[in-house]
Amino acid sequence: MKITILNGDVSQDESAFSNYINRLAEALQQENTVNMFRLNKMNLHYCTGCWSCWWKTPGRCPTNDDAEQIYRSVVSSDLVIFASPLIAGFTSAVLKKITDRFVALTHPYIKLFDGECHHQNRYDKNPDIALVLEKEADTDNEDLEIVNDIYKRFALNLHSNLRFTKIVDHDKIEDIVHATHSI
Amino acid sequence: MRLTVFNGSPRNKKSNSKILIEEFLKGYHRVCDTPVDIHYLANIKETTSHVEAFRQSEIAIIIFPLYTDCMPGIVKNFFEEIAKLDYSSPKRVGFIVQSGFPEAVHSTYVERYLQKLALRLNFEYLGTIIKGGVEGIQVMPPRMTKKLFDKFQKLGEYFAENEKFSAQIQEQLRKPLRMSATTRLLFNILRLVGLTNLYWNSNLKKNNAYKNRFDKPYAESTLN
Repeated sequence: MKITILNGDVSQDESAFSNYINRLAEALQQENTVNMFRLNKMNLHYCTGCWSCWWKTPGRCPTNDDAEQIYRSVVSSDLVIFASPLIAGFTSAVLKKITDRFVALTHPYIKLFDGECHHQNRYDKNPDIALVLEKEADTDNEDLEIVNDIYKRFALNLHSNLRFTKIVDHDKIEDIVHATHSI
Repeated sequence: MRLTVFNGSPRNKKSNSKILIEEFLKGYHRVCDTPVDIHYLANIKETTSHVEAFRQSEIAIIIFPLYTDCMPGIVKNFFEEIAKLDYSSPKRVGFIVQSGFPEAVHSTYVERYLQKLALRLNFEYLGTIIKGGVEGIQVMPPRMTKKLFDKFQKLGEYFAENEKFSAQIQEQLRKPLRMSATTRLLFNILRLVGLTNLYWNSNLKKNNAYKNRFDKPYAESTLN
């Protein structure tokens, strides 16, 4: 299986969260090809909503930064793991920054799926997605449900599936590896 | 009351969010002549001053387009910064979420997040206005946007009078929550005759990109 891990850690040093994600990547590498991106160490810009990727250079984002290597990894992956500490009740802005840029991987044309409007895929198949989260001090079950449901909707728009949501320190690395290999 | 507006559209001053807020403020200023400061979160280098403006505000409205089923990254960045503050006085916050999808259902998931965010930060939550079908309003003739703009003006007028959103207009704006069976049938007929993609196709053709519309530039086999 080919896996992309998008690490949305916000700390500048090797945090406990990133150590966990690094160990997860190592464990997954034993049986899979893994590309991991530490997003806050990369030159990445926010989406400007220019729609160039939809109607000027179809499929290609004109922003000149490090996103292209992520795009190439994502479109060839079977699974993309969105890894992030929860901050103010949601995944980090560092992770959301690159998530917004996924618009280049979709097509502007709209079709009805299950009675709702959704964009068509640009690529033959988008990868499934998974979440690995770190709770904050006040995270409760409602927060986790909200995040989970928003990523389910995101997966729906990619015509793929949210395969699992795991919590750092609550779920063991081998549990995540097992969940990945059960896909 | 001093209202402060935060526009979270990545398109900045060329945004549909700006147009909707201008209509809201037309109505607002019919009742209240206090100036309203508008901050554009897309000017990311000014985040410190945006956060300070938020800290000082009594009533804030945060408007943004739906991006990948949630708030855009620039808005999340702003939320992370305002979550770090200690608030000495009560704050009242309302949200407006607009999207290109015709149905409101897409924006109801982030609505739950916004309500919880307000609770988490001890704000008085003034509710979330959801409006779909907004993409393209910049190129629509006035007769097509009149109804929408009138509603936003009335929303602004009510807000100035009552310091909250009108529940009735909020309900009207989020229609349809989902497409009816008749609308879905009509949509599928229009799609078969190629009319649902007119807006995208005209822009693709204008940019001489129509023939490349199905390109997959990041696929492995693509040589660059």
